[in-house]
Amino acid sequence: MAISEDPKLDGPAQAFVERWHENAYGCYSSGHKFCREVCPVMSATRNENHTPTAFHANVVAMEKGLLSVEDVADDYVHCTQCGACELRCPNTLMVGDFYRARTETVKVVRAMRALMVDQGLDREQWKLWNRLTDELKNEPVLGLEGEQPTGQERVRDWADGLDIPVGGETLMFVDCEAAFYRTSIPRATAQLLQLAGVEFGLMREQWCCGGPAAEMGYVEQSRRFAEHNVADWRAVGAKRIVAIEPHDYVHFTEDYPAYFGDEFDFEIVQIVDLLAELIRNGRLRLVNPIQRVVTYHDPCRLNKRKGIHEAPREILRAIPGLTFKDVDHVTQWAYCSGGGGGLPIEKPEITAAISARRMDRVSELNVDLLVSACVWSERPLSAAGEAAGIEVRDIVELVAESAGIAVDGSAGA
Amino acid sequence: MTLAATTIDEGVLDELRAILGEDGAVLTGAAARLNRARVPAPFPVHRWAQYVPDVVVLPRSAQQVSEIIKLANRQRIPVVPRAGGTGLADGAVPLRGGILLDVKRMDQIKEIDLADRTVTVGPGINMQTLNRRLKPHGVMYPDDPASYACSLVGGRIGTSGFSLLGARYGHTRDLVISFEIVLPTGEIIEVGDGGARKVRKSSTGYHLKQLFMGHQGTLGVVTEATLELVPRAETEFAAFFLFEDYDTAYRTFGEIARSGLATLAGVVIFDPEKVAYLRRDDEAYLSQPAWVHAVTAAALYGTKVEVQAASKVIMALGRRLGGKYIGDEISSGDWAARHDRYANPLHGRTSDGRVVPMSWHCEDAALPYSQLPAIQREWHAIAARYVSEYEIFDDWGMFAYTNGAHKPWADVLVEIDMGLWEERLDEAGWRAFVSLKREIGQATLAHGGSLTACHGSTREGDAELVPVEMGASWEVVKQIKRTLDPLNILNPGKQMLDEAYTDQETTA
Repeated sequence: MAISEDPKLDGPAQAFVERWHENAYGCYSSGHKFCREVCPVMSATRNENHTPTAFHANVVAMEKGLLSVEDVADDYVHCTQCGACELRCPNTLMVGDFYRARTETVKVVRAMRALMVDQGLDREQWKLWNRLTDELKNEPVLGLEGEQPTGQERVRDWADGLDIPVGGETLMFVDCEAAFYRTSIPRATAQLLQLAGVEFGLMREQWCCGGPAAEMGYVEQSRRFAEHNVADWRAVGAKRIVAIEPHDYVHFTEDYPAYFGDEFDFEIVQIVDLLAELIRNGRLRLVNPIQRVVTYHDPCRLNKRKGIHEAPREILRAIPGLTFKDVDHVTQWAYCSGGGGGLPIEKPEITAAISARRMDRVSELNVDLLVSACVWSERPLSAAGEAAGIEVRDIVELVAESAGIAVDGSAGA
Repeated sequence: MTLAATTIDEGVLDELRAILGEDGAVLTGAAARLNRARVPAPFPVHRWAQYVPDVVVLPRSAQQVSEIIKLANRQRIPVVPRAGGTGLADGAVPLRGGILLDVKRMDQIKEIDLADRTVTVGPGINMQTLNRRLKPHGVMYPDDPASYACSLVGGRIGTSGFSLLGARYGHTRDLVISFEIVLPTGEIIEVGDGGARKVRKSSTGYHLKQLFMGHQGTLGVVTEATLELVPRAETEFAAFFLFEDYDTAYRTFGEIARSGLATLAGVVIFDPEKVAYLRRDDEAYLSQPAWVHAVTAAALYGTKVEVQAASKVIMALGRRLGGKYIGDEISSGDWAARHDRYANPLHGRTSDGRVVPMSWHCEDAALPYSQLPAIQREWHAIAARYVSEYEIFDDWGMFAYTNGAHKPWADVLVEIDMGLWEERLDEAGWRAFVSLKREIGQATLAHGGSLTACHGSTREGDAELVPVEMGASWEVVKQIKRTLDPLNILNPGKQMLDEAYTDQETTA
């Protein structure tokens, strides 16, 4: 049981510890674990291996020759990349502005996963998922077995009958889960934009945004997909991309600029910001009351990663008839559906546990509907809600209904 | 004099797996063990491998804990309990390998009893998490350490923790009504003031709760606790006062502490070194005029009618000797930030002013109020020698806090915060750190103080002074340890308790 002190790092692993040395020591020296109780994965597994603190301490241990990539590979699967830990870190929270310091944990997890891919230590389900994504150009969200009903031939099926043009200055980017699994969201979104008189089109060939691949460590694939999509945007003269989904929004505002530098000059708009604006300036009129008692789930990537938490609340308060029992966005740092960062692909049981815990918090509020703004959260939350007798809907679906649009399409298989 | 070095073979691992009965509850991987070898306090990172346990177990019940400990006794394997692992005195750091017993999975709220005002929980629950569940019921569990957001109930009992609201609501020892503990030989018992689980004051038998309170993992593993439920404070009030000199701030601290206000939750004083440290990067203090060299602050908790009246008394006392009120915004903001401020490594500076990430070492002691000015001078003088001799230390100033539960008028919790640059740590630096701790401890004892008010004296530097402080009663302590833990299974090597086994046949 002796812990070896033989250096075991190859070139990329050595580069990894050098890149993250300072960041790791910022955490290691503190070691206070304020992040731990807001970490949705740790809250479910109660295993200290799965804490952000461990993720940083491992970098120090690797540097000292105490750990190899193989030793820690499985631990770094245990992360939804929600970003709660970064917000709760005293280095970020108390003196981050002064020192221009921010503890980076999501990037460390992604870098470790890239190392795992590099060393052939990537997980089997992730390997399969990303291979199928590469083949189909969209994620296999309808199942990994048998004939794939996803892919380029069907990527615009959700828009049947809506008469949406291809191309234009403004494009609506529809992520894989919405395009194939919960088509009610893109259909409601498109109809709302049409109702408000927002001109927009679709891509000629819309591939997966590449974000999930980046989150799971498949960096080359992610970049290749990004290059395709940006080329498609440029080919139709697009200037503005409406991201109807938070993960895409993070990818377009963080990874794409990192890939393309200053050349990346597209305006990226998150749908909740746009809808709030359209409602505020009267271009969308919410007239039909919705007599439901609801609470709102702050999607991690909107709230924790991008600081978007006011617009969805503004929207919900504008829907007539709705009784909105809010839980503030800081309390929600600890909340998550478990649906991000590839976790449900590799560790579905942990995703289910995280969603069940989230639904416990909903149950305490005596509401009959949980509203989210992230399609990836809605599948696990709906599964947890089924047991708790609480329905889960997307905010766009509610807005459409209140605006007099008959929401159709699939609300999940 | 203690257990022979053990190796945990496959047979033992199989037995542990059988006891735990689920996948992923017996961890032998290097990362699992390395990440449970240290706590936030400075750590001899250059000798990290020496502190790793052989195996980590994640039990869910007292019965499992009991069976693990019985197995450890049969096989003579050390057992080190670990809750949050957020302590500042190495209570949860394994010194001789063995089984690391991590209780984080025992985090259930078992009962909220609003009639008898108790909540019964597992030791793996965090106080902030617990209070979020309690809030709808209009009650709270007011154990409020700096580590409020991350420490766990089991560790609070293990260290007999200090609460920043202790003057008003009591400390961990006062707030835990009773608890279940698995003894070092595996028996499961409940301890309270008497034998009843939900009774706060009893004269039955011995008061075993306080014997096991602060056990530092050497007398058992807490598996359940019944805690006080306090009416949620209707309001809180905090006021910070600025002073030209330490002495005036000190006298003001005393006057507020002796005010007799029942809603007084705590009084705190920052010394000139602490103010200088805060001026490094804290917006609230960067903006203060140069004449400010000390701060005294007070907090009130309770009903509006009480707190509003008491706040007027605080404002008058804070200003009476010349204190200048810092303003509402900074007062409430600084009080709200009380949990987060000190845990930040970026405050560290080398002697030439370079910012480097330093670990926070917080040496605490409990001292009579009268001794505070003298100890403030002596501790800084000790620190200054080490800062000038070694490049790895940094003096972050001192603060003191009212110490007595419900009786804030006398003894004080005193802390000196020091930065330690672990990245540059070698054995000479570590020895210097231990020596620094020892000197500070010796000064404490010379002034009639106790080595620690809240962290525990469980590691080198101050551990060897525990028998000195305990005096003749150290013999009783050793007898208790030997009687309850005949084979020295529980957290061996801590607090000089190995001395309990010097004459025993069980020694190896």
